[in-house]
Amino acid sequence: MSAFRFPWRQANALIGGVLLGSILLAAAVAILWTPFDPLGINLRARFAAPSWGHPFGADEFGRDVLSRAMSGALTSTSVALLTVTFAVLIGTALGLVTGYMRGWTDRLIMMVNDALLAFPGMLLALGLMAVIGPNRYGIVLALGIAYTPSVVRVVRGTVLSIREREFVEASRVLGNGEVFTMLRHVLPNAFAPLAVLATSMFGWVILSESALSFLGLGVPPPAPTWGNMLSAARPYLESAPWLGIAPGLCIAVTLLGINLLGDALRDKLDPRMAG
Amino acid sequence: MKASKWVYGLTLATGLLGSTAMAQDAVRVSINADIRSTYPGVNRDSNTDGVVHHMVEGLVAFKGNSDVAPLLAEKIDVSDDGLTYTFTLRTGVKFHNGAPLTADDVLFTWSKYMDKETKWRCFSDFSAKGNGEVVSLDKIDDRTVAFKLKQPSALFLGLLARIDCGGTGILHKDSFAADGSFVKPVGTGPYMLSEWKKGEYVELTKFDGYSSRSEKRDGYAGARKASIEKIRYVIIPDRSAAKAALFSGSIEVLSDLESGDLKEAKARKDITVTTAETMGLSGILMQTKDPLLSNVKMRLAIAHAIDTKAIVDAVTQGTAKANNSPIPSVSAYYGPPQGELIAYDPALSKKLAAEAGYKGETIKMITNKRYQPSFDSAVFIQAMAREAGINIELEVIEWATQLDMYTKGNYQMMSFLYSARLDPSLSFDMFSGPKATQPRKVWDNSEAQTLIEKSMKIGNQAERKKIFDTLEGMFRKDMPMLVLYNGPDIAAYSNKLEGYEAWMAGQPRLWGVTVKK
Amino acid sequence: MGRYLLGRLLTTIPTLLLVSFSVFLLIRLVPGDPIVLMLGDAADEETVRDIREAYGLEKPFFVQFGLWLLKAMSGDLGTSISNGAAVAPLILDRFQVSASIVVIAIVVAVAISVPLGMIAAWRQNSLTDILVVGGATLLLSLPSFWLGLLLLLLFGLKLGWVPVVGYISFAEDWQGALTYILLPIVTLILIEIGVVTRMARASTVEVLRLEYITHARAKGVSEGSVLMRHALPNAFAPTWTLIGLLLGNLLGGIAVVETVFTLPGLGRLLVDAIFARDYPIIQGCLLFTAVIYVIVNLIVDLCYPLFDPRVMAE
Repeated sequence: MSAFRFPWRQANALIGGVLLGSILLAAAVAILWTPFDPLGINLRARFAAPSWGHPFGADEFGRDVLSRAMSGALTSTSVALLTVTFAVLIGTALGLVTGYMRGWTDRLIMMVNDALLAFPGMLLALGLMAVIGPNRYGIVLALGIAYTPSVVRVVRGTVLSIREREFVEASRVLGNGEVFTMLRHVLPNAFAPLAVLATSMFGWVILSESALSFLGLGVPPPAPTWGNMLSAARPYLESAPWLGIAPGLCIAVTLLGINLLGDALRDKLDPRMAG
Repeated sequence: MKASKWVYGLTLATGLLGSTAMAQDAVRVSINADIRSTYPGVNRDSNTDGVVHHMVEGLVAFKGNSDVAPLLAEKIDVSDDGLTYTFTLRTGVKFHNGAPLTADDVLFTWSKYMDKETKWRCFSDFSAKGNGEVVSLDKIDDRTVAFKLKQPSALFLGLLARIDCGGTGILHKDSFAADGSFVKPVGTGPYMLSEWKKGEYVELTKFDGYSSRSEKRDGYAGARKASIEKIRYVIIPDRSAAKAALFSGSIEVLSDLESGDLKEAKARKDITVTTAETMGLSGILMQTKDPLLSNVKMRLAIAHAIDTKAIVDAVTQGTAKANNSPIPSVSAYYGPPQGELIAYDPALSKKLAAEAGYKGETIKMITNKRYQPSFDSAVFIQAMAREAGINIELEVIEWATQLDMYTKGNYQMMSFLYSARLDPSLSFDMFSGPKATQPRKVWDNSEAQTLIEKSMKIGNQAERKKIFDTLEGMFRKDMPMLVLYNGPDIAAYSNKLEGYEAWMAGQPRLWGVTVKK
Repeated sequence: MGRYLLGRLLTTIPTLLLVSFSVFLLIRLVPGDPIVLMLGDAADEETVRDIREAYGLEKPFFVQFGLWLLKAMSGDLGTSISNGAAVAPLILDRFQVSASIVVIAIVVAVAISVPLGMIAAWRQNSLTDILVVGGATLLLSLPSFWLGLLLLLLFGLKLGWVPVVGYISFAEDWQGALTYILLPIVTLILIEIGVVTRMARASTVEVLRLEYITHARAKGVSEGSVLMRHALPNAFAPTWTLIGLLLGNLLGGIAVVETVFTLPGLGRLLVDAIFARDYPIIQGCLLFTAVIYVIVNLIVDLCYPLFDPRVMAE
């Protein structure tokens, strides 16, 4: 049709990689160094507007917003990483078990799974956070539980679709154990959809974590996260708008990076969709 | 679902399309949560009290300096033995339904409140073992009633006026249904309930038959004559939203401005800010049962590491004074021993900490984001303690969870707020007691307990003052709590209004306020 | 059809029961007590116990759950501990607010996004396509509450075009109502445009590649007609299933938008109730949302054939 073929995958991967990479770099640097102590109070710098000293300004306690955003990057990305790992590990294990065992185990696990899926993920996390109480491990657990069911679904679906296929049968006929067959032949087939799901999940978790923190049910202050920084910035929206710019921008950049990388990944793993 | 009239927040529809829907005849006052009921002192919170006190009145009420003055009573006679209080009712006082106030109404209301099933907040104070145990209430004639006490009590009138008990507001029989259940308050106050749309607003209408006292307005006492036709309490839970509503003219009174918003409000020409010190208390609790903090030297080390004045100035923006005493600074019992500030002395703090054997262990301090100043104080204390080498870690939790931990005594340190206690005996009593049976109590000192109980029974002011001074010394030696300040009541209102004032108890008062023509 | 419907509804019952039970149990495990909250720092042990008893909170857990369930089945979700309001009408009231915003936002977003996605797919790899996809991805990446805050700052505070707080129902004054919910709706529309446009583009790309389209083109049918008559119906079906998901996500995520714009919606009701430990409201809100979610997905499934000519033909 069109003479010019836009190199979607390369462009997406490049831009996405640069965006997400810079955030991850900031997070990594924050482990060792930030321009100021992200918790350090400086009464003289209260509500300082952006300047060379404080490129993103300072907040109501005179804390440097850039340092806090960097430290927030560390919190947000590590929470997201842990959550995705949690959901993928637990979800894969459960998905394999249900897909393979069938019978009562399957039905029971799927009933609980469907009950969890009966809630929008965010709402479920909201309720779970109320129970667990706002802290950073609680949020990993809450979001992990909220996102596990979709992993279970994907893995179980893959297992069901291939468990009767020839090569799986062949493995059994050759006398390989069920567990071996499952890990050796079934699991790799679930990899592609899982990779795509995990990438989007990383984005959802970043977003959900900041939304929960924004509502006051996430990682509690004074430890900075983008969400609770935005929430704290709200009352000063008019008098100190810079307080809300940096954390919001960080979330947007991260999500954009992940979405672009996700597109590239999908194009690669599912060439049918390539533009 | 009925498509009923659905106003949230505002009656005035201004904005993009410039439509003005309703005539503006109500003065709109923000409250941060819905009221809990309209039954005085039963299922209530601070917002509820503020609304209810516009509709009902008790025999006595608090003045702005926490003294008790007669309200529905013309005069009060106390017998020499301090056991009989005789109240003579004012003449010409009418209920909202037009019925005149009589001694029978006082007896009727009292019987309701003193029914255990009512769950009136002050029930335990007036029953056995309470601080004002009432043996009997008798009608002397149509205009006179007499309370007989079990033993003399310095607190009796203060208890009757207690704001959280609805000021023991006198209700007409019509307030109740035939089966005895409460319907709505038919009281003698300057306003009547016209509509309560749950979760949205409460609307009160002026009571034309109100008979006001002649003294000037003073706290909940004095003149309470209404000028505004209608008050609409609009529920706006969100701080920034309430502020925006005031600035955009969607409400006229913002009853609880955060000190953080003070500068912004003061900068506006169309807004007036009014502040007053309250008797609520903000402080840092230290769990004396904690292995580390059980050492009094450690607690003193923390106290001396803190520059109270710097914190209070920053947190309250100069609207409150630093106060290290449990007795509120507006109290008549507040003198030099109470007014003295604990020395800010990092060197002494380090020395005390070393003597206590402190080796940099992390101390957890609980705080919450619901009460911004309380959170802000905690952040400052953490930073100051760190400079003195004391390692405090903040744990920010929900207010509900914090209250739970407070009630169970389950904390090392905690940034906490106490609601107003209007008598020094009660100020001490609120945090003193045996931890074994009441884990929420902060100060477990039996000697102090005896003194506090004694202070409740003595009527003589000089003698009481002496006890409180002694208690002050003991309290500071034990240092179970670092008191910081008495929270200010900060309100902001539109310049369309005249005569609005913040005051000691903090609840918005709309009588005596006029709308400028 | 009727049997299918009945079957679907029956299978949701154990799910809903499980949901209710877990919520009922979990919310009681949360530290903090509605009665202690009500009484505050002055609460003494005896008063707390007395009042808890009056609210039926001292009964054994299973008795409480049984009583609640019995009433819930007749549509009575109890009364709020905070202010005594009946929970069911309160939820319906608040839902009306959330639903009006979410539904308007989705309808508008779909009306904009589907043509946009189709054009992008039709002009695949052109500058238009790049701009549309790039823009959609950008919108998709904005957190709704941040976008909302920015819009509020610009149009509410700086320009003063719309009021920043409050809500009026459409029934009362539709013009006034519009000014209050304009910004929240715009926020949601912008976010949803990102999702729906990408979906519409992807499904159109796939459809355009199918044989019958090639056939139609070969037969000389005009491009516009190909797009309208052949591609649209087929490309819309996947988008339609997405709408069910979106509605669910919006109901879950609406709390933050309602917080930003201080709208008295269902999300805000739930969050406030969590902070107040108002058990009946929390239970009611979560059960209600689960039911709505189930119903929406059911409707989406039932309507699916209407939009997918392939299924229709079978």
